[in-house]
Amino acid sequence: MHNRLNHFFYSFILLVISPLFLCAKGNPEALFAKGNSQYAKAQYKEAAQSYQEVLNDGYKSAEVYFNLGNAYYKMGEMAPAILYYEKAYKVTPGDQEISLNLQLANLKIADKIESVPEFFLTKWWKSFFLFFSAQALSGFAVAFLLLGFALLIVYLFAISISIKKPAFYAGIILLALGLLSIFIVSTQNSYLNSSSQAIVFNGTVNVKSGPDDKSKTLFVIHEGTKVTIKQNDNNWIKVELPNGNIGWVEVIAVKEI
Amino acid sequence: MKMKHYILSVLLLWTSALFANGIKSGAQDVKVTASVSKSVVGTGEAFEISFSVNGNIESFNPPALNGFQVVGGPNQSSSYSSINGNTTASMSISYDLVGVKEGEYIIGPALVVVNGKQVKSNSVKIKVVKGKAVPQGNQRNAVPQGDKVAEGNSIDISKRLFLRAVANKTNVYIGEQFSVSYKLYTNIDLVDNALDKLPDFNGFWSQEIKNNSQNVQWEIETYNGEKYHVATLKQIILFPERFGKLTLDPLAMTFVVRQAAPSNDPIEQFFGGSYKDTKYKIKSTPITINVKPLPEAGKPEGFNGAVGNFSIGANLDKSSVKANEALNYTLKITGSGNLKLLKAPELTLPADIEKYDPKVNDDIKETMTGVSGSREYSYLLIPRHEGNYTIEPLKFSYFNPATGRYVSLTSGSFPVKVAKGDPGSNVTAYATGGQQDVKTLAKDIAYIKTGNPGLTKDGEGFYGSALYYMLLCTGPVLFLAAFGYRKWYRENNRDVIKVKGRNANKIAAKHLASAQKQLISGDKKAFYENVYRGLYGYLSDKLNISAADLNKENIGEQLKLRTVNESIIDQLTDTLDLCEMARYAPISGISEQEVFDKAKTIINDIEDNA
Repeated sequence: MHNRLNHFFYSFILLVISPLFLCAKGNPEALFAKGNSQYAKAQYKEAAQSYQEVLNDGYKSAEVYFNLGNAYYKMGEMAPAILYYEKAYKVTPGDQEISLNLQLANLKIADKIESVPEFFLTKWWKSFFLFFSAQALSGFAVAFLLLGFALLIVYLFAISISIKKPAFYAGIILLALGLLSIFIVSTQNSYLNSSSQAIVFNGTVNVKSGPDDKSKTLFVIHEGTKVTIKQNDNNWIKVELPNGNIGWVEVIAVKEI
Repeated sequence: MKMKHYILSVLLLWTSALFANGIKSGAQDVKVTASVSKSVVGTGEAFEISFSVNGNIESFNPPALNGFQVVGGPNQSSSYSSINGNTTASMSISYDLVGVKEGEYIIGPALVVVNGKQVKSNSVKIKVVKGKAVPQGNQRNAVPQGDKVAEGNSIDISKRLFLRAVANKTNVYIGEQFSVSYKLYTNIDLVDNALDKLPDFNGFWSQEIKNNSQNVQWEIETYNGEKYHVATLKQIILFPERFGKLTLDPLAMTFVVRQAAPSNDPIEQFFGGSYKDTKYKIKSTPITINVKPLPEAGKPEGFNGAVGNFSIGANLDKSSVKANEALNYTLKITGSGNLKLLKAPELTLPADIEKYDPKVNDDIKETMTGVSGSREYSYLLIPRHEGNYTIEPLKFSYFNPATGRYVSLTSGSFPVKVAKGDPGSNVTAYATGGQQDVKTLAKDIAYIKTGNPGLTKDGEGFYGSALYYMLLCTGPVLFLAAFGYRKWYRENNRDVIKVKGRNANKIAAKHLASAQKQLISGDKKAFYENVYRGLYGYLSDKLNISAADLNKENIGEQLKLRTVNESIIDQLTDTLDLCEMARYAPISGISEQEVFDKAKTIINDIEDNA
């Protein structure tokens, strides 16, 4: 009798505790996979929730941002979709799929803002330094530098000239590549993170001439539009549109990328 | 004679009476009066001027009517009356005039000859002011008797003549059909009517029920306890297009009502009495329709706004064709509801079957119960390539307002076998060689990424981390260290003798390492063997002779060649002998430590000298 009670007690504890553990131990990879399978079943809302949990746990990656953007896109919520695509773009700016989805999402918002056209060389340079992600570039830089110096050390100690010579040249080339990688990764980083940008989340936002409600409304922007934050003043931020227009909006109307 | 006298006196009397009469009438005043119906008139307004004379007019000379236009007249009227044998005659001549210009006018006296006497009438003053611009002709068209008909207050007659709008439903869904009839109720004599304003059905799509007979059908109906003649003027089927409280505007009409006027004149009464025509403007009461939105719950995908009760049937005329031959796909929607507002259902076809816009055949009737009938969409399909295709079932959904639910219908699916087409039958403008571009059917976002998510904790990205900078620094630091080491190494190895001395100890230690181990563990036999082996190994390395070829003789020769002292060679030989011996018999007189030190010294000495 006693034994039976004990047994019952333990199974009860197991029943109560184990789901708690499952929740607490929400393995981010498992959550991500769960989100993917929900997305595949067109349960976009649930999928978005799963991805969001991954982010809430303090993890991030271009894949999570991208999939979360997709889920919002499928739900028809363009502002968060664009926000997360932009975040994914910041992590891996060279990803074609991210750019494609971002473009499609931008077609579905109210505002069509023509950006100032770029000089073709600038465009090439940009696509060049944005081709690899910062992660990959910094890996390259470290590998190139370590290998380059290793070859130079070989050059120092090798006795045979047939090893010394190629080791020297290869080492110099690798060092150059490593330095280039460092330069590119820092360029990319400053390009992506120097100016903070934000996505408009309110349906209609009046852009004022100054940081208060009484100022004149200069123009009106709508949900999903990307703005560059220029300045902060209490609850107001000074924003610039891609076409160069500048004005003030309330900080709650937008979400920073 | 007496008789003669009598007759004469009578005659005299008669004539005297006659004469007296004549004198009397001659003495009567003849008066000509000019009078106008209005003394102040507007330009363009007609008025009447009449000259009346209390006698027989023998000649009439009208005054100059300058500034006026004569639109009628002269009209002559005369009356005679005889009272107590006293006969009076009066005559009047009248003109209808219209003032042309503003101003004050004096119509001068008319000259009338009455009873041979010339009499002048009085003059009349007329003031002509700016007239109203209202053209009178219009009213005449609307109501022919307009100018004679007085406007009546419609409230007075509302009990006897009114319009009613009757809707068969007032609480409907968007798109649900309902009918409205406009009815005229009357128990009064109507002379004429005119339609003022048709209601505009804002927010509705309307479909009038056509009436075949031109004449209005009158019926008798009791309403609020009174009997009325009722005519249905209009019947309209309405489909609300938006939700909320929608109001149907009133229908406005003008009626001319003939009512008997009270008359004292028995003769007039005998001839049907005089009557009065009165104009009334009547409006129907507006009705409010409460339109509900279609429920969101259970709304099927692809719902196109069909509301009513329908059934569908699809048909494909052939199930096997050659490529580029035409197929007819017919979809028939039968039922009642907003059939005319239906959009052609989207037909999804395999991409290689070309579809043309459907032809629409309607067979729709409008009755008071609503719009019903059938609508047929026929699609012309042309398969362009051979193969087995399936025309997917077509989904049609509608909202049934009676049950308040959505109904989804699915047509059958049709397999189509397309055989290879006749060569040259390809009439379309495809590029020669039968090639075509891959068609983009739709644009969609790229699918989610399903591989390894590559998650990183916030702020743990490799770029910019401490590890990144550390690794970046590792290369140069190692290189500098290596460079420094090489420099130090070169510096140190410049003096050959010193190097040799420094190295000797190391070499000895290296070769005698295992011997030292045995020395510590105390295994004597193994110790000597290891010392022996160590020395031999050293010499083999040093003299570059393989261990197999090594013996005491050529060791001695080689060492001598390298100018090694005889004493050292002897010591070496002794030690080697000792070790060899110790392998078979215990050694006394010298400790293991001494042997070890000796071997070490020998190696060092050889290194120093050779």
